[in-house]
Amino acid sequence: MHNASCVLYGPGSIQFEDREIPQLCDEHDIIVRIAYVGVCGSDVHFWKHGGIRTMVDPQKGIIMGHEACGIVHSKGKAVKSVELGDHVAIEPGIPCRRCKNCKDGQYNLCKAVKFAAAPPDSHGTLTKFFRIPEDFVYRIPPDIPLEEIVIVEPLSVAVHAVRLVDIRPGETVVVMGSGTIGLLCGAVAKAFGASQIILVDIIDRKLEFAEQFLPCQTFKPLSNASPEENAAALNKAFGIDDGVDVVIEASGAATSIQTGIHVLKSGGKYVQTGLGKPNVEVPILTLSEKELLVRGCFRYGSGDFELAASMLVKRQLDFKSLISSISTFEHVVDAWEKTARGEGVKNLIKVQD
Amino acid sequence: MGNQNPSFILESKGKVKFEDRPVPEIKDQDPHDVIVEVKFTGICGSDIHYWQEGHIGHYIVEAPMVLGHESAGVVHSVGSAVTTVKPGDEVAMEPGIPCRRCVRCKEGRYNLCPDMAFAATPPIDGTLARYYTLPEDFCYKLPSHVSLEEGALVEPASVAVHVCRQGDIKPGDSVVVFGAGPVGLLCCSVAKAWGATKVIAVDINDERLEFAKKYAATAVFRSQKESAKDSAKRLLSETNLGGGADVIIDASGAEICIQTSIHALRTGGTYVQAGMGKDEIVWPISAMGTKELNVKGSFRYSEGDYRLAVELISTGRISVKELITGKVKFEEAEQAFHDVKAAKGIKTLIMGPTA
Repeated sequence: MHNASCVLYGPGSIQFEDREIPQLCDEHDIIVRIAYVGVCGSDVHFWKHGGIRTMVDPQKGIIMGHEACGIVHSKGKAVKSVELGDHVAIEPGIPCRRCKNCKDGQYNLCKAVKFAAAPPDSHGTLTKFFRIPEDFVYRIPPDIPLEEIVIVEPLSVAVHAVRLVDIRPGETVVVMGSGTIGLLCGAVAKAFGASQIILVDIIDRKLEFAEQFLPCQTFKPLSNASPEENAAALNKAFGIDDGVDVVIEASGAATSIQTGIHVLKSGGKYVQTGLGKPNVEVPILTLSEKELLVRGCFRYGSGDFELAASMLVKRQLDFKSLISSISTFEHVVDAWEKTARGEGVKNLIKVQD
Repeated sequence: MGNQNPSFILESKGKVKFEDRPVPEIKDQDPHDVIVEVKFTGICGSDIHYWQEGHIGHYIVEAPMVLGHESAGVVHSVGSAVTTVKPGDEVAMEPGIPCRRCVRCKEGRYNLCPDMAFAATPPIDGTLARYYTLPEDFCYKLPSHVSLEEGALVEPASVAVHVCRQGDIKPGDSVVVFGAGPVGLLCCSVAKAWGATKVIAVDINDERLEFAKKYAATAVFRSQKESAKDSAKRLLSETNLGGGADVIIDASGAEICIQTSIHALRTGGTYVQAGMGKDEIVWPISAMGTKELNVKGSFRYSEGDYRLAVELISTGRISVKELITGKVKFEEAEQAFHDVKAAKGIKTLIMGPTA
């Protein structure tokens, strides 16, 4: 096959197909030879349920994958920021560039965005060759191992969350959820000058990893205590008087959201980056009385990938330690199943050399 | 018969001419484009400047260029992907097309795009022609009760909207605007619409001040030959501004006005540079520093400004009809330029070429 691609047709149903090799469509395009693709919780959801809001079309199928990196294979006439053979991180969502959201600096909210692996026909990166405009690839110097470049995508999610909640030097930050995103939010919070970072999770193994990976403290809430009680216990454990300055909610779990609201000081800031149930109970009176600033958070926008790429290049953390396994392209399901079982932090698929 | 797109062209510094250019067509690769039949075009100080000096900054007129950028017209034809306008619709035209790909564009400041293609900024042709091509998202439908003449004022009104947004003008603010030309007047009008309780227009010209008082200013102030500090002191006392204004907009570009502004702001106040004059001036830097002023530039307009300007005009919260003091036929364009240069009237409109 010239362009072997991993196509999902429904829950539990994939096929490897030789899809058309993409061509340069305009002078700003780049064709990337995909090297590695990371697995995200959303991929697992697609594998198990066939989609999230929009289901995969069983006639067309959808090429999976959106956390990707690779090598520049060909480029349009107007492309100046990369050369053939350069290693690049890929920002996998192309907005329309014409609507109000795009022109107002929030292209992540573009309703017509073409996001990799989004049914019905915005195909993903689990393929040999992928077309992307120049301004959505980020050149990474060759001394960074290719597989680490995959981290730039989830790191951009973390950068976006931290910028939205506007972490300032000296602030105390609690990150609810010590998965990949939570860990990366902790890393970015550190880069933004947070003086105290506390990772919260219910799984010991995750908290142990956090303590190794980050400069942070950890907290394990009690399962039989209320969110208010857990919040009070956290503040007490760390000698925090009024409450913490910032909460980044990176789990999506209802009790975690509630604990996050309770652990904040008056005037504190909260950002919802974790995705869970569409509707949850929120301590709204507390939110009001404490005059909290609460923000939603969706993917990444202007400047996020640049900052994430620079953090990777500056080797600010041992990002390599996040990569728990690398499966071959043919064994992509192994990578998804590992992630589904909660094994490892970031599981990768090697698409080709 | 010729091309049938009569155009008013700046050949080189000081020399204008009429020429028939090819009629534009929608290209297959630009299905979002719209071709507008231009009906009214206002003349701006920048048009006069290019005509007289042949350049503004490093933008030099090196080849003949169609003039004009403040226009409104009727949609003539649309590309296959266009959904928001159709032939016959009356639209205000936003005449600057950014690249949409650079960091400034994607962060929401497309007015700062380094590859901006702006009408009548060399080498891009302007709107003083029968037809002009624009992407759909740069055409703004005018409500039926808003005339095409008013449509041509949307461009300078958008400049004023952008300036006032830079100044973050909100209800209760006291605002001073230096310079009572079209942009200054429109800034007064927008500031008032946005709830500023004091809007003071400043000028050296009594006629302009009289007009400003009737139009949108709550009070006026006549500049005199005095130091910037003295002028600021007198301004605050004559117009009851207490410790200083919340926001001051300079729409004159004149050094003495800029200096006076800094002295007339309260501590923590905001200054916006809208006017264009000398490239470099003497700046009261200690006053700015010790008063912790917010100092902002303002350049053209970005997302939402045109739409807001149309809405302000449509709902009557700002009025632009009074600013139109002249309307001339396309063939009389050169004379109109001379009149504007001689500071006749406030805004002169040039009509589109007739059949």
